[in-house]
Amino acid sequence: MKKLIVMLVLLMSSPLYAHEMTPTYPKLSPSHLDNVYKTTMEMFNKRSDVEYYEIGVFDADWNPIPFVTSYQVIRIRYLGHVTFDVYIRKSDVSRATYICSISKLRKDSSTKTQIASRICSKFK
Amino acid sequence: MFKKLLISILFMVPFSVYSADVPITGNVQSRCVITTDTPGVYGNPNAYTLTTASTDGGVQPIVRYDVTLANAYYVEITAPSSFSSSPSLPDTVTWTGNTEVKTVSDATNMGSYETSKVEYGYTDKYDLTATGSVWFKTSSTASLGGNKAFPGGNYTALVNVECIAK
Repeated sequence: MKKLIVMLVLLMSSPLYAHEMTPTYPKLSPSHLDNVYKTTMEMFNKRSDVEYYEIGVFDADWNPIPFVTSYQVIRIRYLGHVTFDVYIRKSDVSRATYICSISKLRKDSSTKTQIASRICSKFK
Repeated sequence: MFKKLLISILFMVPFSVYSADVPITGNVQSRCVITTDTPGVYGNPNAYTLTTASTDGGVQPIVRYDVTLANAYYVEITAPSSFSSSPSLPDTVTWTGNTEVKTVSDATNMGSYETSKVEYGYTDKYDLTATGSVWFKTSSTASLGGNKAFPGGNYTALVNVECIAK
């Protein structure tokens, strides 16, 4: 119980810089266009140091697969929430394995390490 | 007597109409959340070394992973092997780096994360087999060749942290 309280206090007292994308296992379904499939993803940006995220779709060997979204680099303000559709050709559906979002970092003016985060969901 | 009974029954009828259950629906999605708890800082213990070691004035970057679905994700954390921004350097830089589990929220089910990790190059891969939170810390040291001094300026290196669905 003490450990839990200490953990909660630590979580509440530390600043949050979190990156999150759902669902974990998106499904592709036919879109309103012929031979084009789509899925809908959601992102939530709790990283105050990041405002842009790049979307990518990859096969099982991490080769990029062509896709279309409204913007390939999405702007999500701090504590902002975005829902976006990803369109993939029917011919690429069987190859598409991962859909990822990666944080885009700004050049900074201090001597430090920066953390680039990437979350990948898997088509099932 | 009969009238009273009839009135009582009539009062009860409307109540039976309004006693329907009101459902509250919700949708909790499984997810992996990456949180930067501490961005790292390079200390400069001597002219030719930059390091995140606390004994040398640095700060190790700490990242937390929160997972709500067991056996659904793996983690890859890659320590820096180059600067993403720096002044022009007079020689090559030698990099060392390593990632370790710092804390876990469930010692019973996450206790083997560190011993079970797979290391290749600067990347450490962990299988997240349990739900909960894990904190990882990454160390990084850059040494300039020939013990030459790092030129004055700002240096930034990237730690790549990934959470990938299995």
